[in-house]
Formats: sequence, structure tokens, C-alpha cells
Amino acid sequence: MPMDRYADMEDKLRILEDLNMMYIRQIALSLQDSDIQKKIDHEIRMRDGACKLLAACSQRDQALEAAKSLLTCNTRIMAYMSELQRMKEAQVMQRVARRSDGTRSSDAGPMDDRLPCKGKVAISDLRIPLMWKDTEYFKNKGELHRCAVFCLLQVGGEIHDTDMVMVDRTLTDICFDNTIVFSEASPGFELRVELYSCCSEEDYSAGSAPRKLASKLSSSLGRSAGKKLRVAMDPGACSPTSNAGAATLLLPGPAVAGPKYHLLAHTSLSLSHVQDSFRTHDLSISGNEECSYWVPLYGSVCCRLAAQPHCMTQQMMSGCLKVKQLGGDPPSWTNVYGVLKGTNLFCYHRQEDMEANVEPAFTIAINKETRIRASEKDPHSKAQSICISNQYGGEEVTHTLSADSREETHRWMEAFWQQFCDMSQWKQCCDDLMKIELPSPRKPALVTSKQGSLYHEIVIDTSDDISTVTDILTRRMQELELRSQLGTSPPWMSLFEESPGGPRTPRLARHSPRSPHRLPHSPLSSLRCPWPGLLSSDASLTSDSDSPCSTSPCSRHRGWAEPLSLSSPRFRPRTLSLDAKLSTLRGRGYGGVLQCSCQPPSSSSLAPIPAQCVPQATLSCSSSTSSNSSSEGSHSPSSLDGTPFSRPSSARRSLRNLRAKLDPRNWLQSQV
Amino acid sequence: MSFIPGQPVTAVVQRIEIRKLRQGEHLILGFSIGGGIDQDPGQNPFSEDKSDKGIYVTRVTPEGPAEVAGLMMGDKVMQVNGWDMTMVTHDQARKRLTKKNEDVVRLLVASLLCNASPFVQTEFAI
Repeated sequence: MPMDRYADMEDKLRILEDLNMMYIRQIALSLQDSDIQKKIDHEIRMRDGACKLLAACSQRDQALEAAKSLLTCNTRIMAYMSELQRMKEAQVMQRVARRSDGTRSSDAGPMDDRLPCKGKVAISDLRIPLMWKDTEYFKNKGELHRCAVFCLLQVGGEIHDTDMVMVDRTLTDICFDNTIVFSEASPGFELRVELYSCCSEEDYSAGSAPRKLASKLSSSLGRSAGKKLRVAMDPGACSPTSNAGAATLLLPGPAVAGPKYHLLAHTSLSLSHVQDSFRTHDLSISGNEECSYWVPLYGSVCCRLAAQPHCMTQQMMSGCLKVKQLGGDPPSWTNVYGVLKGTNLFCYHRQEDMEANVEPAFTIAINKETRIRASEKDPHSKAQSICISNQYGGEEVTHTLSADSREETHRWMEAFWQQFCDMSQWKQCCDDLMKIELPSPRKPALVTSKQGSLYHEIVIDTSDDISTVTDILTRRMQELELRSQLGTSPPWMSLFEESPGGPRTPRLARHSPRSPHRLPHSPLSSLRCPWPGLLSSDASLTSDSDSPCSTSPCSRHRGWAEPLSLSSPRFRPRTLSLDAKLSTLRGRGYGGVLQCSCQPPSSSSLAPIPAQCVPQATLSCSSSTSSNSSSEGSHSPSSLDGTPFSRPSSARRSLRNLRAKLDPRNWLQSQV
Repeated sequence: MSFIPGQPVTAVVQRIEIRKLRQGEHLILGFSIGGGIDQDPGQNPFSEDKSDKGIYVTRVTPEGPAEVAGLMMGDKVMQVNGWDMTMVTHDQARKRLTKKNEDVVRLLVASLLCNASPFVQTEFAI
């Protein structure tokens, strides 16, 4: 029975949504604005895709990303719809006003109020400090409570989201590296920053809802059935009764099984917060400690909000002008090509100079302190001239310009008035051009799997104890080779089934600790064998390698396999972090370790270390710790002193720092 | 910076902008720091309050970018490019100063001046 009710509800929801869509389309058509319509359609398609992905994906990360896209799409759809409604309302109001007036209100009347120019607003380097309880920092046991967070940034109808960041107690701040640029923002913009978070541990199935229902609900967002309904129904018959609830009816979809993001904090930024440096703003936090998506926020957000109004970056006006030479009677005029951009009027000798990026002949400042007026008609010429006065130092300097015709003069005055209007509206953004860095092509984010224990971060560097670590490495390599051989067809295994029995097996049994590791090298011709002696001695064994091992007696199999399995656990405890190091070594193409284990290892280990020469770093660091240790009698490892390498790699530095940090009696100093 | 006990001191907070200098592959600032919440504050020779775990400038390379910008030994670094430095570990502090993609760091530092010095600076904040 409950399934039927759900099905009914589903159908009703679907019908209401389709009605909404039809209404939206009608509005869009009547406004003859297909732009928003296209955007809405696009977002709906994206939303469907995200829902499908959410239903289909199994990995937590994918599900979180899909849920994030879903939220963004929904927010965008709501924004577009409300914009559409606003436009519709404006149109209706206009029509009403026109009808009541009786006369057609022309829109070409003289505009008394100017509209300031639009501009680019960029927000970057978002950082939200966290405030974990100090007990959280030192908890080493237990699972890491992780949350996925991201920010949604909205200016008017433009909505952008940042990348998702996983937050756990090892982070002190949530940092979003994205730079988000909004291209058309008016000076009265309101940038709404919303922080969403979602706990990334719970089971995603929506409570007790059965799987079948969940999949049914998520698939219902696909609008194939809706389209059929739409075709069947008469498009003209839909009524705008759903107008009032239009925005709310197109809900963020029915409950989709998957992670749900909740609003954790929000704030609004505007022109007064724009500055060419980092600033801290307060956050309004919604939610409390009881919520699953809670992350302890310090309560502020630090970011860089910059704005570039178009009047600062674009040429607002250009044309030929005549500039009166100061002094001299009769006044002489110079022809220049003037370009009004930003806070300056650049005057070039010729237009070609401007295009060739030659320095202008001279520059007249047009800023908040400039005064411009049109002077009386010059008795000699018909056109009015424009006087621009600036204060340079204590002196007032006036430039007199004249255009070719009255219309030109008028256009220049208009441009200057517009410039003043822009500068008064954009205020501090017009003092100087703020830099907006376009987001560079993103590097693939390094995914480091934190395993919660500091031990995993320790990288054993070959420089610290070369011989023993190399030994471990070589033995590990052998074991790895052995294991890989086991997976494929182990040719040497067959040797032992086929062997005549007595003489060989006892020999192997005698050398059991080492021989299991030596043998795999002989059949491998690709690997340069470090033990040339081995090759010759085992050459006789290789001849039998191609016989199948399927008929081998089980006892021999097991008997042979055992020393291997015994040996591997013997090495396993040491290789947890060694594994990490080995994989990075392999990744770096560190083949030297594999091949020349017999040769002095120092040469191979030195190879990948970049030769950098800032010797102060190591020396000061090591000398300070050693001096402290000598005075305090603490146990700083001696390997830190007098290392022959120049600037250490970050891994080694972190290891050294770790060691120094572990000693509480050191007062570390670092050179920066 | 020597403190004469009993003499009044003035604390000056100023913003110092240091342009990093490129030396080979590295950008250096030319000073050393000490301190941090994971360090023993009792060993800080520059702090007035021996429980202060902040980041202090322990050495300034002569003719380096920091000295040119006006940083002095014994200054306490409060902020770096907007990042707080009063509650950070030593390594975090070092990392915030040595970010590879920044070639200018704007520090907020607090310096203590002994009033016995002939060059008395009045408090100002930029």
C-alpha cells in the first residue's frame, strides 16, 4: 500500500513539474527571451545527468561530486526561474503603466539618471579557519570524522561552485584554491557565499526507503514520461495558478538516494568589501554540533575580493581632439588622438601610435578630483571647448580641449560624465586597477590518502641509513618479483616437480632463507641480474622451465610454497611505509635501485635529488638543533649534522623536522 | 634587541612588505624564524612573555630582502598575507612564508622598542 501512495505522489509531482515547465516556457516565449530558456533547459539536462550518475555510482567520492553538481544545478535553475519571473513582472508593470498613461512611453527620452558601467568581480583564495577542540588534534585512535565541503558563490543570476574539499581534524583551515570571476556585475552587486557540507561516512540509502523505491524516485526525474504528458495536454490550457508556488514546486527533485549537502554557513559581500588584499569577513553559521554535517568553524572567512569595472579596463571613448598649448598668444592647437581609459585620458600623436602601443604624447588624469567643464564658445571656432582641471601638487593645471564638431564635443562630455558616474559608483575600485588573475589550467590534485597516523607520513630516506635500507629494498624487490612470478606461471616451480628428487631439493632446503629469492632472477632475462654468479649456477635449472606444472604433486607444491609464504610475512611488517616509498621511487623512474644494488648505492640515491644550492637551510637547521642538543643533552640524531647534500628534499626536511619536533627541548629555527 | 628591565617599552605594530629574492630556484626572504605552538617558549630570547608561543624573527640576513624592507631581529610576526601566525606550529609558519607561488609577503609584525633608544618611533599602523 505505501508503494501505491508513493507512486501517486510521484505522478502528481511529475505533473506539477511539467506544468511548471510549460508555464516557464510560456513566459520565456512571451518575453521573447530564449536565452534564459536555453539556460534552464541546459541545467535541467545537467541535473538529470547528475541524478543518473548518483544512482549509478558506487564510490563515495563520485557520489559526493555528483551530489555537488546536483545542488549547483538546482540552485541555478531556481535562480533562472526567479529571474524569468522578475522579467515577466517588469514587463507586466510596464504594460500597465503604459496603458494608464495613455501615451506610449518612449524609451529614448533623455536619461537623467545614468547607469554605471558593469565590471568584473573576482573572489579568490577563500579560506575558512576551523576551530577543532584541542582534544581532537591529539586523538590518534578512532576514525577520522570527515566531511565534504564546497562553496557556492552567487552574484545575481550567475552561480559558481568551488571544488570539493574533504575536511577532517587534521586540517586547520578549509582552503579553496579556485578563483571565481563574475563577468557582468553592477556596482551594487551582492556576492552571496554559501558553504555546504555533507558528512562522508554515513550510509547513503535514504533511511528505511527500500532500494527499489529509491531507484524509482531517482529515475522519475528523467522526463521522458513527462514529455509524453506534455504532448498529450493542450499547451494553451495551462493556467498560471501555479504561479505563486512556481519557484517552490520545481523542488530540488524528490529524495534522491545519495549524499545530501546541507547549508553550513553563509555571508554576503558587496562593494564595500572589495579591496586589493586579503580581508576577513564574518560568517553566519547555521547548524550546530548535533548535525551530522557539522564542522567546527571559527566564524570567519578570509578571501580576496577584487573588482575591475569596465571603465578601468576598456576604452570608454576615443577620437580626435585638439589641445590648446598652454601659454602663447595667439593660442595654438595640437592635434591628438585621445583615448579615455581608466583614470586617464591618453593623448597620442596619431591613432596608429595607440594601436602600436607607443607611449602617448601626454596623459591627462581623469579622476575623482578632476573638474571638467565646457567653456563658453570660443570666438574663433564654433564648437565649445572642454576644460579639464587637475591639481598636480599644489598647482592647478588646466588643459583645454576642443573637438571637431559640436556633436563630438557633446559625445566627449557624455563620456566624461559617464566616467564620473562610474567612478562615484565603483568608489575604491577606480583608484587603481586591481589585478584579477585568471585561473590557470588546473593541475591534477594530488590525492594523499591520510591514514590517520603520523607514522605513515614518515618517509624512509635512503640517505639516512644507506646500507641497511638498501638491503631491505633489495630484499623487498626480490620478494616482489617473486610474488609477481607466482601470479603468472612460475616456471621455476615446475623445476621442483620435475626434479629427480633427492639432490636438488635438499640443496634448496639448505639455502631456504635466501634461495627462494634468488631463483626468480635466473629465468628472467629482462632484468639485469645483480648476481652474475647465480646465473651460471642456475642455468641448468632454466632448461626445464617450460614444462607444465599442472601435474605436479601437491605435496611438493605446498612444500615449496610454504617457505615463500613464510618469508613474505617476515618482511611484511617492515614494508608498510616502505611500500609507499617504493611506489614513489618506482614512479620517479628510480630504476637505479632495482638494478644496481651491488654497486655503491649512494650514486643511485643521489640521482633524483635536484642539485640546489641553498646550503644555509640545512646548516642553520642542523646547527641549531645540534647546538641545542649539545647544550641540552638531547638525542638529536647525528645524521642531521654535516649532511653532504645541499638543500634537502621536502621529505627529508619533514623527517628532520619531525625528529626535532619530537624533542620538546628544542627551540627550532628555520631560515626562510 | 636588549631589554633593560624597568625601562618602559613601546610596542609598534607595522605592516612590512617583503619582496622575495630569487636565488637560483628558490625565493628567499632573508631571515630566520623561531617559535611556534609546538616549541618550547621558554627558550625564546626575544619574547617579553616567556609563555608566548608566537613566531619571532631570530636573525635577519644583512642586505637581504627582509632587512631592506625594515624587518628587525626580535620582531614578532603576527600575520603573513592574511594568515594568522600567532597560533601556528613552527612548520606551518615556515610553510606560509615560503609559498612558491607568492613573490611578495605582507607581514604584520610587532616590534618592541626600548625607549632608551634615541630613535623613538611613534605608533603607526599602515
